[in-house]
Amino acid sequence: MHNVLIIDDSDINLTLIKALVLKLGDCSPTLFDHPLAALEWCRSNVPDLVIVDYMMPDMDGLKFISAFRALHGRNEIPVLMITANDQKDVRYDALLGGANDFLTKPIDRVEFSARARNMLSLRTGQKYLADRAEHLSVLVDERTAEIREREKELIFRISRAAEFRDPETGAHIQRMAHYSQIIALGLDLSLAQQKLILEAAPMHDVGKIGIPDYILLKPGKLTPEEFEVMKGHARLGQELLKDSRSEVIQAGAEVAISHHEKYDGTGYPHGLKGHQIPLFGRIVAVADVFDALTSERPYKRAWSLDDACKYLEDGRGKHFDPMCVEAFLAGWEHVLDIRQRFRDEEMPQI
Amino acid sequence: MAELFVLDKASILERLGGDEEIFTMMVDMFVQDVDSNCAALAAALASGDPAALHREAHTVKGLLATFSDESGAAEAGAVEQLARDGLVEGQAEAVAGLQQRLREIAAVLSAG
Repeated sequence: MHNVLIIDDSDINLTLIKALVLKLGDCSPTLFDHPLAALEWCRSNVPDLVIVDYMMPDMDGLKFISAFRALHGRNEIPVLMITANDQKDVRYDALLGGANDFLTKPIDRVEFSARARNMLSLRTGQKYLADRAEHLSVLVDERTAEIREREKELIFRISRAAEFRDPETGAHIQRMAHYSQIIALGLDLSLAQQKLILEAAPMHDVGKIGIPDYILLKPGKLTPEEFEVMKGHARLGQELLKDSRSEVIQAGAEVAISHHEKYDGTGYPHGLKGHQIPLFGRIVAVADVFDALTSERPYKRAWSLDDACKYLEDGRGKHFDPMCVEAFLAGWEHVLDIRQRFRDEEMPQI
Repeated sequence: MAELFVLDKASILERLGGDEEIFTMMVDMFVQDVDSNCAALAAALASGDPAALHREAHTVKGLLATFSDESGAAEAGAVEQLARDGLVEGQAEAVAGLQQRLREIAAVLSAG
């Protein structure tokens, strides 16, 4: 059903046009004898065709069209303007001002029907295209979401592959990723950045894939030479992940190369200091160390939460960015929730 | 008005696609509105406002054209043009002529 808006200050013309519109079939006419009232109606209603007289009190047809076109989403709706035969100048102005076609007075049914039908066909085409564009947009969103989910899953599984060779667990990856997100929130990073670090943080140790078992799984303390090899996992991780077109994997590469840097410049591999260290690296350093300390390993007991907090506080400005430590401790309630949610013996879904 | 109004129903109906129903509806409305249309013309003339007279003469021009009264529409068009140029004074006779024409048509239409 087409919604046809008719505006004319003459009752007889309104009646005539309404009758002609009804004869078109599948049309529902809405009548106004005053353009300002019609404009008000248009703020909350969307007509499929506007038929407007030129000469009206208070606001002529040209001014109406201009005000109508200025309303959001009313730019392409067909407008037919009714003019007298001798108003050529008005017609030119109307064409420039946004009218699509004209009707001349006295109104002729054949001409009226042809022009009105043309305008309604135009509108039908517009609506079809708009519906199709919206449908395609929804489809693209769905497919993109699927791909993003798949990307997330692959990242998690790749990260798990590295961790499988390590005493650390899948739950560790989840906890440190969520701790990283808490810090990002505390630092007032955007929601998009919070989400990005949540998805990128699990990749921090992916370079351990390239570390030989006799070093990675050695129960005792590493020799200085072995430790040098072990330190290589940061670069290996970056090598694996760099130059990706995916924003998440790019962030993962940054996290991998920088999560063992220390705020005072004594970390590795580059010995970067303070804000030379990428923000994501500074965030993940706090999250990763805290979880390693508070988790039980074959070679160590889990630290108490108090001791682990004290370690973070003592490490402010030395190992850790003080702002990141502060943001982490400010989100303590969430930290406890995450510890409950991702326990070592269980593997919750992402 | 020089010529008497002669109802050319055939030409009006042709414009309305032969639709008697719409024709009857319009005739009824014309007859119903004739007093208020004459009053609006008189008020516009009395106000001395060229814009008001321009608008009312334009409306009457459309009405007369709708009923295929070409000479009446031309007279209304002349009043409209002069008012557009800012002239109200001196149009009393022409306005009276238009009022008379409207009533004449209403009478013919009422007589059926």
